[in-house]
Amino acid sequence: MPKIEIENRVFEVDGDGFLSDPNLWDKDVARLIAKYDGIEEMNEKHWAIVNIIRKNFEEKGMAPMIRTICQETGLRLREIYELFPLGPARGACRVAGLPKPDGCV
Amino acid sequence: MQNLTNEIVDKGLEVLNGHMDGKLLTHLNSCVHCGLCADSCVYYQAQPDARFIPAKKVDLVASIYRRYKTTTGKIFPGLVGARELNRETIDEMIDLLYGACTMCGRCVSHCSVGVDISYVVRKGREMLANMGFVPRTLQSTVDAAIQTGNNMGIATQEFIDTLKWLEEDLQYEVNDDTATIPLNEPGKDILYTLNPREPKFFPLSISAMAKVFFAAKESWTLSTQMYDVTNYAYYSGNLQEAAIIAQRLHDEMLKLQAKTCVLAECGHGSRAFRWEGPNYIQKNYPFEVITSVELLAKYIREGRIRLDPAKNRDKVTLHDPCNLARSGGIWKEQRYILKEAVSDFVEMNPYGLDNLCCGGGGGQLAMSEYNERRMKIGELKAEQIRKTGAKIVATPCHNCVDQLSQLNVTFKLGVQIKTLVEIVADALVLENR
Repeated sequence: MPKIEIENRVFEVDGDGFLSDPNLWDKDVARLIAKYDGIEEMNEKHWAIVNIIRKNFEEKGMAPMIRTICQETGLRLREIYELFPLGPARGACRVAGLPKPDGCV
Repeated sequence: MQNLTNEIVDKGLEVLNGHMDGKLLTHLNSCVHCGLCADSCVYYQAQPDARFIPAKKVDLVASIYRRYKTTTGKIFPGLVGARELNRETIDEMIDLLYGACTMCGRCVSHCSVGVDISYVVRKGREMLANMGFVPRTLQSTVDAAIQTGNNMGIATQEFIDTLKWLEEDLQYEVNDDTATIPLNEPGKDILYTLNPREPKFFPLSISAMAKVFFAAKESWTLSTQMYDVTNYAYYSGNLQEAAIIAQRLHDEMLKLQAKTCVLAECGHGSRAFRWEGPNYIQKNYPFEVITSVELLAKYIREGRIRLDPAKNRDKVTLHDPCNLARSGGIWKEQRYILKEAVSDFVEMNPYGLDNLCCGGGGGQLAMSEYNERRMKIGELKAEQIRKTGAKIVATPCHNCVDQLSQLNVTFKLGVQIKTLVEIVADALVLENR
């Protein structure tokens, strides 16, 4: 099982860097994964996106549609792509501690 | 992992029954070991390890064939390099055939005697699939498609809500209430398909296509039941599952009585439905199937849409998806489209039929256990892109888009990755209605 180490904390992840155990996630973990991706400081918009993804995952077991993320955060689509350069899946869902989604992502 | 019984081994060996597949028999026996394929392979280029040479992958399958299907191999296996289909061989097959090949086919076009190496690799995958050794990471996307009707498990209502949301946006953008995204409308000229990642995460390409359809005054519809253009069972090598998925799209075409099925920008999906699908389901389609790349080129050629290349001023380069270009022969259309839609177009080197795979093909995007290799071979593509000096990389394949987007961030390329239709939509000149 691959591991990533960020600021002295070690996490078990899959080969793409998604947390192996989504239950280990907390806000500190989110900050650390974001930092690993080059997002030095999580701002309010980052948190709004991550929180809605996390909430959907806990309720429905999967990431929300991008429409839900846009409508519930009030952010425009292109803003989301700018905030998470790796995109909603490899970027935002990973920071939110979800397993890697199926499909071409 | 499961115990390897004789029954399981026999299931794997079924694929090698030569009387069923003369092509396979020929290609298993034709390699002259010239070694020309080595340098053509992105895996070998990125990591010059002899195991990665395409001919070695062919020989792996051929050695099993010799062991069980030739007289000498049965009696004196050591003499002809024949191998037992045992645990060790299976592990090596999984690692090399799933984990070190994107079935991009570049080696095939470099082979001195024309061995269809990626076909042999596919047959090796079929053996593994028959025996139940598809990597779990890959199988889970196939399972999602079979169980839910699309490979990301999107619920129908969520899909509909997304399209309604995009439709409102479209009407606002073209300032016309008659611009729609029609759902489940029977008797249209076109049934359009999508890669589920579009409605789930990246809907700009749906909006772009809807805008193009609006401009072309096209008669089209989407299905909310079966819209998924992908077929991950093509990657896994499970032909029964590949047939289930292809059959569904076939049935949806008949149900909605559409004339032409238009496949969204998706390399393997085009291959699996248009070119291999009739073999999966064992019958010809009573309708036409084309890719959206061909449709866009047709619209421009026939004057059904008008483009202004001055609207796309940044330098654009093009990545050719292996399944569309090398395998499907569709490589001129995307160049024609870009020459009409952008003002500054530059080719990569090599390009077209000899293009390098992006590294995300063959199911690699799904199999995270081989992520490190995927990024290593992707670096070759990243350098190709960097050398063009382009600001935008166009590619008519959502799978390639995802890999290229990751390469963009990892190797700090500072480019934008776009599908063709997004670029076309940006260049559209809408007439006053």
